[in-house]
Amino acid sequence: MCLAIPALVCELVNEKRVIVDITGVRREADTSLLEESLEVGDYVLVHTGFIISKLDPEQAKEDLKLWDEILSNQ
Amino acid sequence: MSGPTQKYRDKDVVNILTKKIRTLAERSSETVRIMHVCGTHEHDLVKAGLRSLLPKNIDLIAGPGCPVCVCSAQDIDEVLWIADNHNVTITTFGDMMRVPSSTESLYQAQGRGVNIQIVYGVSDAIKLAEKNPETEFVFFSVGFETTSCVTAAEVVRTKLPNFSIYSSHKVVPPAMELLLQRDDLEFDGFLAPGHVSTIIGAKPYEFIPEKYNFPVSIAGFEPVDILLGIHAVLKQIIEGTARVDNVYKRYVKQEGNSAALRIVDDAFVLSDARWRGLGIWPGTGHEINDKYAHIDAKKKFDIPNLPTEDLRDGCICDEILIGKSKPQKCKLFNKSCRPDYPIGACMVSHEGTCNVAATYEEIIWEE
Ligand code: SF4
Repeated sequence: MCLAIPALVCELVNEKRVIVDITGVRREADTSLLEESLEVGDYVLVHTGFIISKLDPEQAKEDLKLWDEILSNQ
Repeated sequence: MSGPTQKYRDKDVVNILTKKIRTLAERSSETVRIMHVCGTHEHDLVKAGLRSLLPKNIDLIAGPGCPVCVCSAQDIDEVLWIADNHNVTITTFGDMMRVPSSTESLYQAQGRGVNIQIVYGVSDAIKLAEKNPETEFVFFSVGFETTSCVTAAEVVRTKLPNFSIYSSHKVVPPAMELLLQRDDLEFDGFLAPGHVSTIIGAKPYEFIPEKYNFPVSIAGFEPVDILLGIHAVLKQIIEGTARVDNVYKRYVKQEGNSAALRIVDDAFVLSDARWRGLGIWPGTGHEINDKYAHIDAKKKFDIPNLPTEDLRDGCICDEILIGKSKPQKCKLFNKSCRPDYPIGACMVSHEGTCNVAATYEEIIWEE
């Protein structure tokens, strides 16, 4: 139920709508619940047609650093 | 989509992480119990076989994280009462169709002629009502914060005379507090739900270490995400510290999704909620704000007090939902109650603890 699916923004339709690619399937998604603006190429989480979160690429890099730490001090 | 997801499924990373978890767990001579409160966690971790990778003294407990499972029979009774007495069409998620009410499921009700249509979400329910202005529609909405913000977005902008919403929405952090306060439950740390947290952020869990000195980690759903979450909370437990570790930072901010939270605050007010087999849990529900009464099915229709029955004979969903028992302890499990013929609510959704255990034949109960 609380399933949110990672998707790629591939087209901006208007202020409240974008087209996302979810594992190869394109569909419209509503951006009303998002503060940040979106650009083509952003990764997002989609829940029942609404974008609920945008991937923070800086943070994703940080994640990888955290792994390196965890994985290195075995 | 490969993109950023693939590396969170990396076999080598999974192996190293499970090794690290094993090394940590060896420092405890006792069983360490970690409770998650998310049906998607239960489904995804079992599907990935993660329990079998964990050391024997780690018990990963499924808490009340499946919104369909925790929905009380009374809520379904009331929705059916509206359908029977006001000639409305019910729209709802497919997952709700086979959840038992006191007497029948929506699916069975459909069989006796009640108009019920499955929709993908609230927006599709609204489109259906727009297309059929002569029909009265009630959207039966369940879900935690991930779903309630979507419902909220429509509550604040929809004005259709033939459409209302029956809210059975619930909130997670206050429910976690009630679990902590129970003296019949024993567990050592929480794995907090990733997608709920994309909305509410990490902050609403902070009272848990502060007030209860109890460890929490927030985790996503890929195998590496879940293992990182287990590792983080286990480390706290072993080291005797308590804080909120967020290992899903790429999607979960400290303050959450502020735009979504503003809409939720506007659309809903906190209320007491009925949880299946568990009675009323104060402050764990989301009712539609009075200022949007026009879209609230509970206000639009004068629903009487209905006698209600949450559990069928033999069903122990009340114990399953709070992680007090595992599915295999139920006498009906995989016998008369199966995914294709569910008797209790936990067997219906593919995120229900009993359904997951039956589908993946997981041995998670050893006396
Ligand atoms: S196996 Fe079926 S009857 Fe038993 S607790 Fe699970 S859902 Fe309820």
